[in-house]
Amino acid sequence: MAVINLRNRQIECKLVFYGPGRSGKTTNLEYIHKAFKKQVTGKMISIDTEGDRTLFFDFLPLGLGKIKGCDVKVQLYTVPGQVKYKATRQLVLNGVDGIVFVADSLAVRREKNMLSLKDLHENLIKMGLSIRKIPLVLQYNKRDLEGKGLPIMSLKKMQHELNRQLKVPSFSASALSGAGVGNTLNQTLKLTLQSLQNEFKWAQ
Amino acid sequence: MDLGEKIKKYYKEAELYNSHGLLTDALEKYKSIEGLVKSTRNIQNRQGILKQIALKIESTNKKLQKIEGPKTTTEVAEDAQSLMQEMFSFDDPESKGSSVLGGAIALVKFGQYDKAIEELNRLLEYDKFRLDAAKKILWCWVQQNYMEYAVSLYQKWRKNKLFPPEEADAIQKYFNELIDNAGGDQEIDELESQRTVEPDSEIDDDEILDISAARFVLPRGPKEGEKIELEISFQSGKYIRMIISRREKNLIDSINPGDLLKEIVFSSPAAIFSGEGYVSSKNEIDAGPKKGDYSLEIKIIKIIS
Repeated sequence: MAVINLRNRQIECKLVFYGPGRSGKTTNLEYIHKAFKKQVTGKMISIDTEGDRTLFFDFLPLGLGKIKGCDVKVQLYTVPGQVKYKATRQLVLNGVDGIVFVADSLAVRREKNMLSLKDLHENLIKMGLSIRKIPLVLQYNKRDLEGKGLPIMSLKKMQHELNRQLKVPSFSASALSGAGVGNTLNQTLKLTLQSLQNEFKWAQ
Repeated sequence: MDLGEKIKKYYKEAELYNSHGLLTDALEKYKSIEGLVKSTRNIQNRQGILKQIALKIESTNKKLQKIEGPKTTTEVAEDAQSLMQEMFSFDDPESKGSSVLGGAIALVKFGQYDKAIEELNRLLEYDKFRLDAAKKILWCWVQQNYMEYAVSLYQKWRKNKLFPPEEADAIQKYFNELIDNAGGDQEIDELESQRTVEPDSEIDDDEILDISAARFVLPRGPKEGEKIELEISFQSGKYIRMIISRREKNLIDSINPGDLLKEIVFSSPAAIFSGEGYVSSKNEIDAGPKKGDYSLEIKIIKIIS
């Protein structure tokens, strides 16, 4: 949950990158760490001890400076995507203010995307939150693989399967090159700050 | 698409999935190739292709088994542990000291048991946190399958009257349930309160080599965290005894009966090996040339390597 100090005009909020294993959540954070140097306020902590698979979470702190008279700080987290780390996902999701769901565009990962979105939905319910109310952005990652001979799903199909009911903002991306990463982050931040404004009326 | 092209296409896909860490998908593609080749007789270098694909299937399966095996708990770096404590302590920031307990509980939740126990042990000194800290400590040991040690620790607390009566009842009830849920058969109510039960040892006395020295990290007190090496003065099977000079007051205060030493390096004339041990006694020698020194006895409960 965001920490809002109206006296000192400070906001600290938490965004979580969610999605199936190997969909590119850590790669998103790595790109942000590299490309948004001015905003990065501390080192990226990446706890991956099983090859390059996230076992716990990645963490990256950002400082966005003054927005509407408030000093805005953001903590970015990723969750481990593997099914067996459900408990860790719940733990990392605790106190979340906004979510980026990183879906894998590869056709073979269709089912995994859907299962992971369902898992997010269930975990949010456990925390008393609703997937329809929390600030959420979908990212269709790995679009660059289209040119490499791998079958990928069309954006239309992904929209239909993942976003037909949610109707949240979505972006195509290639986290490796960074394409779409900034847009995804900006939109998620915008939605999150709007949601916090509706709740806490922090903006001057 | 002719068969050759199809195989090439599948192989390329499989390799790309493999390089992206999508091992299940890669495995499926390799198996599709194997199926195609097996069902076609007149294919050039058929045996060679089958052999190569079999190797790919084997190595991918190995990687998969490693990843899909049971969830393991891993001790992470100190900065990551600090982050877990700081960021996942969801308690009331206004309540003094509660964040320490919250941080320790966060470590427990992430499976950072050693660090969590270290933090929780400190909280045993505070009335406000003692009960919660003790429950979490017992839970950590049981989670790591150190049931016997958890029992001995509980008994030590009881013997030392760590808890006031109402808390003693609460912890006993909690611990009984914990043991039941873990499928243990220990009856803590029936155990003699003056006797500390030692954890079982996995080792037969005959298996143990003659040990000349033991090196381990001190678990508590003024020298906590320091590594020391002591010469073995006497050995009887899995029990080893060492002498600590009376002049080493800080060292004497840094180890006590009931401590579990999780990483001991044993030196013997034939080999060096490591294991776990339980401090079974520490007594002041009351006669002879070593009068005033301390005799420390460790029971070796497990050999690791």
